[in-house]
Amino acid sequence: MSFVAKRCGVQFSPPSIVLIYENKETNKVRKRIIPVRNFSKYSDYSMAAERLKNHPRHRDYLEGVSQSQLERLHVILRDHLQGFSLDYSLSSFRLDPDEDLNKLDDEELARKKGQMDELFEKNRRHKDDPDFVYDVEVDFNVETREKCSWDEESDDGF
Amino acid sequence: MAGNGNNIPELDQNKYDADEQVKIICLGDSAVGKSKLMERFLMDEYRPQQLSTYALTLYKHTANVGGKTVAVDFWDTAGQERFQSMHPSYYHKAHACIMVFDVQRKITYKNLANWYKELREYRPEIPCCVVANKIDADMKVTQRSFNFGKKQGMPFYFVSAADGTNVVKMFREMIKRAVDYKQNPSDFMDEVMQELEVKLKHSDY
Repeated sequence: MSFVAKRCGVQFSPPSIVLIYENKETNKVRKRIIPVRNFSKYSDYSMAAERLKNHPRHRDYLEGVSQSQLERLHVILRDHLQGFSLDYSLSSFRLDPDEDLNKLDDEELARKKGQMDELFEKNRRHKDDPDFVYDVEVDFNVETREKCSWDEESDDGF
Repeated sequence: MAGNGNNIPELDQNKYDADEQVKIICLGDSAVGKSKLMERFLMDEYRPQQLSTYALTLYKHTANVGGKTVAVDFWDTAGQERFQSMHPSYYHKAHACIMVFDVQRKITYKNLANWYKELREYRPEIPCCVVANKIDADMKVTQRSFNFGKKQGMPFYFVSAADGTNVVKMFREMIKRAVDYKQNPSDFMDEVMQELEVKLKHSDY
């Protein structure tokens, strides 16, 4: 891959995805503005993100940008078209560790999963990595373990 | 109908009576990483079947246990957690259960008690384990001991679907336990059901 994505964001007017990338062949950093077409306040953010990711003219540049990040950027654009502020969109992605996510619908859950997916992608070992190991076994020392505070004030089973 | 799903071949659960076939179910809250764990274990092999009408994803896997080929069906929820309870057919004929929580969210750990209670209503004896996922987010959690399931003697695994820690080990051990359980079932209800099925077959004539 000769394009390395550095940062990816949105621009509201006209609605576009903005990508800062490095061209590995020339070692130059460039900005690419990808207009988001046929996207309205009623559009499906996840289908639009998938379409863009597979777009023949853009896919090589977007290879290093995850599907979930593109989904979140489309959610921000759609929120804007619906009249919501950027602050509103960003706070909807924030994850409250005490929130019961079982109660959310698909879209609400997708917003929350954004933050989790980011961490997942950051720590992810890919099967194409030269040092990839399929069966990673780590024995965690049982003796040095401290009691977990999550077990306090618990009823049966804990 | 108890989940026999006669019209949908994927949901025909009679196949789980065959010796070379086991069913393993995953339980746990939304977004604890159940599907990510499945995908990490199966890698390129995975071809999930989305049965969205049933809020269900099936993953098929072929394992080798003690020199024998075993077909494993993994049942994963696809949003059924939202109802705080699973359809009885989800538990029907399961041979093992993998219970997952997210080490970054206490509520997912606390909710294990509810999932476990429901599991035992349907499957009082099947082997079960507790899986602490996302340890890559904070390795310090591995220095803590989590007591849920200890009393019941359930194995506990610290895993990460992102970097792969202990994922393959956990799945292999659970497949082995599912096969062992199947060869030596102790669920009384299973035996009653089998007897009833035999009687029903005879009365057909």
